Parts: sequence; structure tokens; C-alpha cells
Amino acid sequence: MTDSTSTLAASAARRTGGNMNWLRHVKSAFAYALLALAAFVSIFPFFWMIVGATNTSAQISTGKASFGDQLLINIANFLDQVDVVRITINSLIIAGAGTVATLLVTSLAGYAFEIFRSKFRERIFAAMLLMLSIPFAALMIPLFVMMSRFGLINTYQAVILPTVAWIFMIFYFRQATKAFPTELRDAAKIDGLKEWQIFAYVYFPVMRSTYAAAAIIAFMQHWNNYLWPLIVLQTNDMMTVTLVVATLNSAYTPDFGVIMVSAIFATLPTLIIFFVLQRLFVQGLLGSVK
Amino acid sequence: MPKLSKGWRRSLGVAVSSVSMLAVTSALAETVTVWCWDPNFNGATMEEAAARFQAANPDFDLEVVIFEREGLEQKLQTQLASGVMDGLPDIVLIEDYSAQKFLLSYPGAFEPLGNHIDMSKFAQYKVDIASVDGTAYSLPFDSGVTGWFYRTDILAEAGYSHEDLVDITWDEVLEMAETVYETTGVQLMSVGVDSATATRPMMQGAGSWYFDADGNPNLVGNPAFAASVETYGELLRSEAIDKSNGWNDYTGAFLSGEVASVVSGVWMTATVKSNQDLAGNWGVAPVPRLDLEGAVNASNTGGSSWYVLSSAPQKDLAIEFLDTIWGGDIDFYQKILVDQGAFGSLLAAREGPAFQASDDFFGGQPVWANFSTWMSEIPGVNYGIFSYEADNAIQASIPDLTDGSKPTEQIVEDINNQVNQLVM
Repeated sequence: MTDSTSTLAASAARRTGGNMNWLRHVKSAFAYALLALAAFVSIFPFFWMIVGATNTSAQISTGKASFGDQLLINIANFLDQVDVVRITINSLIIAGAGTVATLLVTSLAGYAFEIFRSKFRERIFAAMLLMLSIPFAALMIPLFVMMSRFGLINTYQAVILPTVAWIFMIFYFRQATKAFPTELRDAAKIDGLKEWQIFAYVYFPVMRSTYAAAAIIAFMQHWNNYLWPLIVLQTNDMMTVTLVVATLNSAYTPDFGVIMVSAIFATLPTLIIFFVLQRLFVQGLLGSVK
Repeated sequence: MPKLSKGWRRSLGVAVSSVSMLAVTSALAETVTVWCWDPNFNGATMEEAAARFQAANPDFDLEVVIFEREGLEQKLQTQLASGVMDGLPDIVLIEDYSAQKFLLSYPGAFEPLGNHIDMSKFAQYKVDIASVDGTAYSLPFDSGVTGWFYRTDILAEAGYSHEDLVDITWDEVLEMAETVYETTGVQLMSVGVDSATATRPMMQGAGSWYFDADGNPNLVGNPAFAASVETYGELLRSEAIDKSNGWNDYTGAFLSGEVASVVSGVWMTATVKSNQDLAGNWGVAPVPRLDLEGAVNASNTGGSSWYVLSSAPQKDLAIEFLDTIWGGDIDFYQKILVDQGAFGSLLAAREGPAFQASDDFFGGQPVWANFSTWMSEIPGVNYGIFSYEADNAIQASIPDLTDGSKPTEQIVEDINNQVNQLVM
């Protein structure tokens, strides 16, 4: 299909000659202009965040867009106002354990939904997708009552558990599993592997880049999670990075320099993980199995 | 695989036991917990109050937990609605505009402090905000008494002095804005196009609100509301007034000298003073009033109060603490005024030295004494449950107000319909 289209396009180009060339230039110039604009829109907030971290609050308020000399002072104020070690440990525990648990549960579910056939499979899956449309705010109160009955209020488990069976992630793993060759599974079966062994020793290595992409998405979700931790965490020693960054913003006289430093700090872990797993991430989104 | 699960089990066990140990230690100590939203403002004042109370009660300990303001409200609301009282604090700070929503939606959740503390010690309008059927529920904290912060240098250039700003109406302000803009090229003030909060102080200065004493919408046929909407529209349409989008833009306008003044609550003082380059060039005048019978040049914007939860484990201690320090320590109020710029509502505090002092940033004006005088003149109103919803309805009319072709009565009618839809 693609081959025949490109041959057609090539012969059309030969026929129209230079005219087509000119048109192509205009087209690509237009595309580049559009991409440049999109790049600017995506990068400007980062630029503003970094420049802002080097200026005083008053300078940021007045719109100064050049680098200043306040970076160390802003960092010192940030460290002074925020228990950085505590909140980082809390966020890392929640995001780390949350990511591992989410990947484990959702990949198992995605695998099972795709591999095993049953009468109700599609109906259950459709019902689950439907549940994606329920806003979290509607689930908050019953969830809170549940966590309280389990005695889990103000614990890491309370933050992690409700997001472990993340429906979007199950959907993602099921889609990815469609590309997983059934021949591999059949061969493994003939070799005498049990189902969990197939999952652990065949499926997992083959789907490595799918897991990498899912890990970034799940980590980001857990790290940036705000509403549920806000509701279920109660004390200073359980605070997460996002909760504390939000409080800096709600001050009557916000120190924008410190807010910018905190924004950079909150963005860093996700950025690091993304850069480390970048190659696999792109592969994962394009499909693990070639 | 079995090895791994053993390790997992062990670390899970450690995690669970350490968490439960934490819970046990916090239950044993005589700790009063407070939820509030600004570590440098209300949080800091609570720490100061605790330090003073500790001097006479060495066993007393206070833990301040900071959440972002809207988040705190949502958290409190979720928990009260779920009926689970575990982990709720002893004392919580609630913004005055939200007070009635919490008191009426969750009857019995808050302790009626009026039964324990003499409320006549506080500014009456603050007590009214948090009263239901004559029973007061809060310990009034910071007042949102409104002032008109202005740049003395810019207004002097346009030929205006402090006296010209005192005791005037919003119509006169609009005329003044034209003159200032023509002579100096600077716009007089900024009005928000992203949130319609400018009408609040106008209405309260006229002794009125979006809702009547029973909480029913009080918009159509309310001259104060019509005049507020009219004035807001004129501000939006005037080229001599800046239009700001968002808080940063709003504060940036007066900090950078783009506009010559700002009408806001006393809590804005710290922000105004954050640009020390302009020290000596600022003054504070009473707010303008609507041109209506009974309207005064004093009003309120924002402000918040402390509430004690009925379910609080340390309820009695919390009340004793609030009464002793917040209800009687005049020196404490001087300290938080100087250190945090927190303008308390205890009437006796006004006689203290800090409240009487003059401020060189404001050209040596006795700003705090002035704010105190204006605070005693603020008309008391009932904010009701749906003030934010009413704001949203006004906000939806901003395009009509900016356009100016629709008559005010029609816009008031539109807002009324929308509020009724939201409220009923």
C-alpha cells in the first residue's frame, strides 16, 4: 500500500517537474513555521521557569525575562521553607512503589485480557473503559470511607492502592499485547513453561520497551498526583512534593522566585527518568514487537 | 521467586509497623493540630501564639499543617461529607466567604465558640460572618478591611493629594482616572477580567450582599448590586483603567508602576511593600463608596477565621489556647502585625503601640490606626453559601459589561437567572 502510494507520488513529481518542487518548499516552510511555533509554546514555560528561578519575586511580577543573580538566594529560601529530604523521600516511595505495583497489575491484566478468551471478556473490558469516564471527584468520598475502614488514612498504601489498577494502563498493555506473537507463547508452552513463566521469561523481555514507556507514564502520574494525596494524607511528615509546591502558590505574598525553584525541583525526577528511558519510550509508543 | 516474596513481605512489615508507630506517638502527645494555608502568614502567627501559650503550659505542643487554601477546603469538605473524623485537626482556618457554606452544610461539625469565648471582644462584622442563628462559631482572625493604596508621586503629578482621595465615590474615581491618565499617561488602577471580585467590596461598603439575611439571592431590585455592576462595567470600559488577567498580572501592575493605585484588603500591605524601591511613594486612603444612601467609605475583602471541630481530640485545650492568646494577648497582636502584617480582629489590640505606629514606607502615615478606624465602620453582611457562584455569574457577564450596549437592568437579570440556576 505505502509502496504504491510513494511510486504514484514520485511519478506525479516527475510529470509536474519544477512546479512541484516550488510547492514542496512552500509546504515545508509552512510546516517548519508551524513546528517552530509549537516548539516555542512548549519550551517557553520551561524557559520562564528557569529564568524566573534566577530573579526576585518583584522582578518576576514585573515581567523580567532575562537571567538574574538570585538563583542561590531563591534556592536557599526554598531549602529554608521546605523539608526537601522528607517530601522527596515520600514522593519517591509513593511514585516508586506505585509505578512498580501499577506495572505489575496492569500488565498482567492487559496480558490476560488479550491472551485468554472468555464469553464475557469484551463486555467486562467495555465496562472498564466506561468507568474511565467517571470523574475522580465522584469516587473520593466512598474511597475515603473505604481507606478509613482499612485503617489506612495518612499512609503510603492509601495513596498508592487506588491507582494500582489504572484502567488506562490496562488498556495500553492490552493494545501492546496485540502485537505479541502467539507463536512465541505456543513455542514456550511446548517447551513446558507454565503461564506465569511465559509471562515472566518470554512476555516481559519481549515487551521491554512497552514497560519502559508505561513506567514513565505511571511514574509521572504518581509523582504529579495531587488531589488524592491531598485528601488522604494528614500530617507534615507524610507531605509529598506536589502538595508542598501547591502551598507555596497559595501564600498571600507568594515568593515567585522560590515557586520557580520548587517547580524545577518537582519537574526534575520526571525529566531524568524520561531521558534515561527515552530511547525505549519512543520504541514503546511505536510498538514493542517488530 | 519465593526469596523475593519473602523480602517483600519483610519490607512491607517494616513499613506497616513504622507507620503504626507514628500514629501511636502522635496520639500520645498533648498536641493541638492546626490546618491553615500560608506558612509565612497565618501559619507563622499560630506558631507565635503557640510559643506564648507554651510559656505558661510547658506540656502544650502545636503542629501546624499547611495545605493550599482551595485544597484545604476540598479536603475538609470531603472528610466532613464522608463522616469519618479520623485525622481531622483540632483547629482549622476557613476563609470568611466560605464560612456559612461549612456551618450550614455540616451542622454539629464545628464547636460553637460563642458559648466559651466572649465574642464582644472582636470586631462585630467578623463575628456576624461566622454566626448561625445568633450563635458564633469562629474565633475571628485576620480582617480584610479594605484600603486604597496609591502612589503619592504619580497622583501629585496629576494634581491630587491625600485629601482628594478621602470620602469620595466611585464616579469621582473614574473622573480622577481620566485626569491622571491624560496628565501622566499612567492608568489609575487595575481591574481583573479573569475574576469578578471587584464588586464585593463595593457591595459590602453599601451594607448589602448578593444574598439577603435568609440566604436568598438579592440581585434584582437591589440598588447596591445594580450600582456595583454598573461601576464594574464602567471600570472595564474606561481606557484610563488597566485590565489584568490573573493574580501575577494584577500585583505586577502596581509593583512595576504600570498603574498608580490598588484597592484591596489590608493583607495586600506586605505585597505592596515587597518593592522597597518605591518606599516613601505610597499612601493609603479609605476606599471609595457607591453613590447610594447609607454607603460608607469602609469595606472588606477576604479575611479568615479559626474554627474548632466538635470531634477534636484536644477540643478543650484548643479552646483554652484560642481564648488565652487570640482572645486576650494584646502584645501578641502587636507582634504578628509587625512580623507578619497580620491585622487581627481583637478590638483591644488597636490600642497597642504597633497599631499606633506610623510607617515611613507610606510617607509616615499612621496606616494601622487608619485601618483600625475603617474596620470599626465596616457594615456587617451575611455572605451566605454561594458567594463564589455569584462571582462566577458576574464573570460570565464580563463580555456584556465590556461591550456596554446592554442596559444594566438586563445584565442584572441575566446574572440573577444564572445564580438561581446554580443555587436552586
